[in-house]
Amino acid sequence: MNLPEPLPNPEPIAHLERKAGLLLTLVATVILGFLLYVMFARGMFEATQQLVLISDDSEGVIVGMDLTFSGFPIGRVRRIELAEDGKVRMVIDVPLKDARWLRTSSIFTLERGMVGDTRIRAFSGILSDPPLPANSEREVLRGDTSAEMPRLVASARATLENLEAMTNNESSLNASLKHIKTTTERMTGPYGVLTGVLGSEDNAKKIIATLERTNALLTKADQRVFGKDGVMDGTQSTLASAKATLDSSGDAARQLTLVLQETRQTLNKVDAVLVEAQAVGANTRLATTDLGTLRTEVEASLRKISQLTNEINRKWPFARDTEIKLP
Amino acid sequence: MATNPTQPNHVTRWRVSAQRQLVSWWFMLQLGAAVLALALTPRTYSALFRAATARQLVITTWQVLPWFTSLAALLSLVLIRIVVVTALSYGLSQYALQMVVRVLVLELIPLSAAMFVALRSGLAFNAGAAPVAPVARLRGLHDLDPQRLRTELAPRVLAESFSVLTLAMVNSVVVLVLAYLTVYGLSPWGLPGFTRTVGQVFDLSVSLGFMLKVFLFSLAVAVVPMAASLEAPPTSSTMQPGAVRLFLVLLILEGGSLMVKYI
Repeated sequence: MNLPEPLPNPEPIAHLERKAGLLLTLVATVILGFLLYVMFARGMFEATQQLVLISDDSEGVIVGMDLTFSGFPIGRVRRIELAEDGKVRMVIDVPLKDARWLRTSSIFTLERGMVGDTRIRAFSGILSDPPLPANSEREVLRGDTSAEMPRLVASARATLENLEAMTNNESSLNASLKHIKTTTERMTGPYGVLTGVLGSEDNAKKIIATLERTNALLTKADQRVFGKDGVMDGTQSTLASAKATLDSSGDAARQLTLVLQETRQTLNKVDAVLVEAQAVGANTRLATTDLGTLRTEVEASLRKISQLTNEINRKWPFARDTEIKLP
Repeated sequence: MATNPTQPNHVTRWRVSAQRQLVSWWFMLQLGAAVLALALTPRTYSALFRAATARQLVITTWQVLPWFTSLAALLSLVLIRIVVVTALSYGLSQYALQMVVRVLVLELIPLSAAMFVALRSGLAFNAGAAPVAPVARLRGLHDLDPQRLRTELAPRVLAESFSVLTLAMVNSVVVLVLAYLTVYGLSPWGLPGFTRTVGQVFDLSVSLGFMLKVFLFSLAVAVVPMAASLEAPPTSSTMQPGAVRLFLVLLILEGGSLMVKYI
């Protein structure tokens, strides 16, 4: 055979067995230590609680991915499964020492950027809320940059088309710019901005003439209004007389107040008279009732007198023959 | 129509060659299985076996561990620095550490350890390659002297396997330490983040794949040249028998590992 034959008396190696034992120990230690470190790094020695995040899409989510809070990893995706309703359930292990950052009001997001991996983040706005219980299920909010790309491209395309239409020779923007150029050229003329605004020098001349007339008119009006014996003077004298009239009116009003006070007193007296008149009226009513009784009695007396008179007339020799004799 | 008289010879030669290759691969597998079986049998560990294994361990591992570690650390430091600086310049520093761990620890260190041990054993072979007298070619495992298998070949296979395993594991740890020091310096505050990154890389499948790959590398480096040497016909070539096959096996293992992990 081709294998080199071993030397009959190989050169002895010092501390052979010790070296071999040391090597074996070293390798065993390294392998064991490496395994323990990897297990520790995988969180196998940590007490955890479970959190289930529910999403429509698990694209980009992988087992072992971190759940971060304020940039710090506080959990790790342990399992991704498809639920019966077609939604994705991401089972996340959260170490108990980090679970305090998750509250009942916490919000979870799943973000996918253009570059880099997908990120699952937790936001706890109110840290005084009750802690998130174990085995909680929460909907995750998704933000997908790549999903927004088609819409973004369509918008950019529409924008570019609009831009192209705007910069075309026949475009409204170009026409506007031409008009602005014409206007600014006019503005450089003798009448400046007026020519640009009004379109021609004739119109500008008219405006300036109008302004001059207006100035003259204003001068005259100033004289009429604020000059000697002007409207303002008359107005001021009128105001003075009106003030005097108002003052006299004040005196009249004061006198009127006195008259009214006296009238009130008089009316009070009339009220007293009326009260007395009411008492007289009441007495009169009572007297009238008594008069009715008296009249009845008088009438009864008169009837009795009449009957007596008739009786006397019948019995008295001067009695008239009251018998009616028929022819 | 005239027939080509040489064609049957080609076919026969191809068939014989293929048959020889199959027999050769089968012998290699048998030898590997026999050595593993011997290693797992407690009765094998006689005083003679232990002494031979200890001697081979010291020759293949103890003597090379310090300077291979130094060399690997130096090269790893350069690579780590390049990766970290490049990642920083692109604003992707959060991926630098993961990339270093994946590229160096998972791929380059085991492969370089296997290649190093293979080349070293090849150099040892070539140092006394030319056989003094022609020896008979083995036709199968049954032709092999069991006593020699126990006292000479098995210790050598085990020692070379152990050498690959040791160099790969020790240098992986050294690379992890260097990566931490390069990224975080001497500060201890980066340790939780570093541990988390290592944990993210070494999930269950990657860890198992890493251990399996190192184990298969070590077996390949130890068994393939040995089997090829035992069954190779006498030749004056100074090339180590089975070198091409070894590199093919390493390539297949590495390619398979990459496919399983990343495809």
